[in-house]
Amino acid sequence: MVAVGVLAAACTRAPATQKSTDLRTEVARLQRTSALLQRQIELASEKEFYLVIDPAASAVSLMLRGAELQRYPVLGLQIGHPRVSWVGRHDPRPWQGTIWSNGELDPPRQIDRLVIQAAPPGKDVAEPEPAEIPPTAEELYPVPMRYHIRFAGGLSLEIRPREADANAGRWARLWASWSAKWRDVAAAILTRDRDAVRLRMAMNPKDAESLYRSLPPAVRLIVLAGGADAAADSK
Amino acid sequence: MEPLPSLPSSNGTPEPAAGPEPDSPSTSAPTNPSAIGPRGFGLLPLDRRTRSLVTALVTLLLAIAWAGTGYRYEPYVEALPKLSGDVPANDRSLKPLASRLTRRARDLNARLKATAPRGMYIVIDQTQNRLYLKRNDETLLQAVCSAGSGMVLKESGGKKREWVFDSPRGRFEVLSMLRNPVWRKPDWAFVEEAQPIPKNPTERLDYGSLGEYALYFGNGYMIHGTLYERLLGRAVSHGCIRVGRDDLREVWAHANVGTPIFIY
Repeated sequence: MVAVGVLAAACTRAPATQKSTDLRTEVARLQRTSALLQRQIELASEKEFYLVIDPAASAVSLMLRGAELQRYPVLGLQIGHPRVSWVGRHDPRPWQGTIWSNGELDPPRQIDRLVIQAAPPGKDVAEPEPAEIPPTAEELYPVPMRYHIRFAGGLSLEIRPREADANAGRWARLWASWSAKWRDVAAAILTRDRDAVRLRMAMNPKDAESLYRSLPPAVRLIVLAGGADAAADSK
Repeated sequence: MEPLPSLPSSNGTPEPAAGPEPDSPSTSAPTNPSAIGPRGFGLLPLDRRTRSLVTALVTLLLAIAWAGTGYRYEPYVEALPKLSGDVPANDRSLKPLASRLTRRARDLNARLKATAPRGMYIVIDQTQNRLYLKRNDETLLQAVCSAGSGMVLKESGGKKREWVFDSPRGRFEVLSMLRNPVWRKPDWAFVEEAQPIPKNPTERLDYGSLGEYALYFGNGYMIHGTLYERLLGRAVSHGCIRVGRDDLREVWAHANVGTPIFIY
């Protein structure tokens, strides 16, 4: 009789506990959504360019003042933490929902400026040679197989064009992976503040190249957590 | 004087003490290096085989350590949200909090949407020399253009001025729209061609070189046409954005004074 009573009580309490847990999860989700929206408003109100990675939409957008200038699909997203001799070194600081600043390309996009010293006025200038057609951005800026956008504070975006090395020879691929391994080893051992967290993004080769060529200097970044939530809430 | 005590070798024979022993037959130098006998591995006396074994072991350990050094990647998994701040323990108080937070999220979302440009806007990728005409999330036109060449021009005489021909980055607005624009050539245009800077303002006027239309967005910069359409897609301008005739007509038809221009 007592057992039946306990069972009945448990059955009635279980849905109530479940409901309470759901409500708490909902409150936590709403708190996070609000915090993320607040930070996006902050980014949109300033003059710097910024990137928004939205894992829910599998996209990264280049933005300025709330306007989406360019949107690139993200084919895969991974989180990397350094480890030394199999011992992981997790940075306890939150990276998601945080505003990261001063993002710069590594290797940098080199700009070779042509400097012309004008002839003094009135001086007979030699017949100008037919001007050479300047190179296009594609000819001017070769894009590496993988590159980073490094932010002050220790977050690094590692962009890997999917199958970018498919056209490269076997030795070129081997060399690329060997040198990448050594760079990773050096980064894990030698630097604590740089590359404390890496986000590896796989992108279409054309998009990865376009992002490399177009990224403005000192870009900022935010990684959203629940991109779809905000839209759902507004309805 | 007492001889120094000998160290036992790995094969059990005592090692001779330091110092010459002219009468001993073992003083002759061995020709076989393996017969040298015990040799220290650091401070440890080890024979050659043990030494090789230790070297191999250390190499293996280093290789294992090297293999486990670098970055460990895991697929991105959405983290569960955590409660923050003062959250009432009482379930009855959670419901009003949830509805308050829902209202706040809705309000913030509306504020965020309000930051985005409404209606028509122009986006220019100055590195890849592309112009996009957009309306809300829709791209109406993608055109090839020419942005600033990045060239530096230095004046020889006079004020020794220097000009850098970059297109500006940031958010701008169409300030005025001109049909059949006339270019009022700035000083650098004369310096570049080694011509004296005219004193008469009318000598600065240049007709036809800016194409049919110009959209002025401040500080001397414009979106305009070009006589050199074959150079579109390449960074050749002095900072203005050059667009082909047909694309310029399209931009002209959709833009208004106040249309935002974003250049990156």
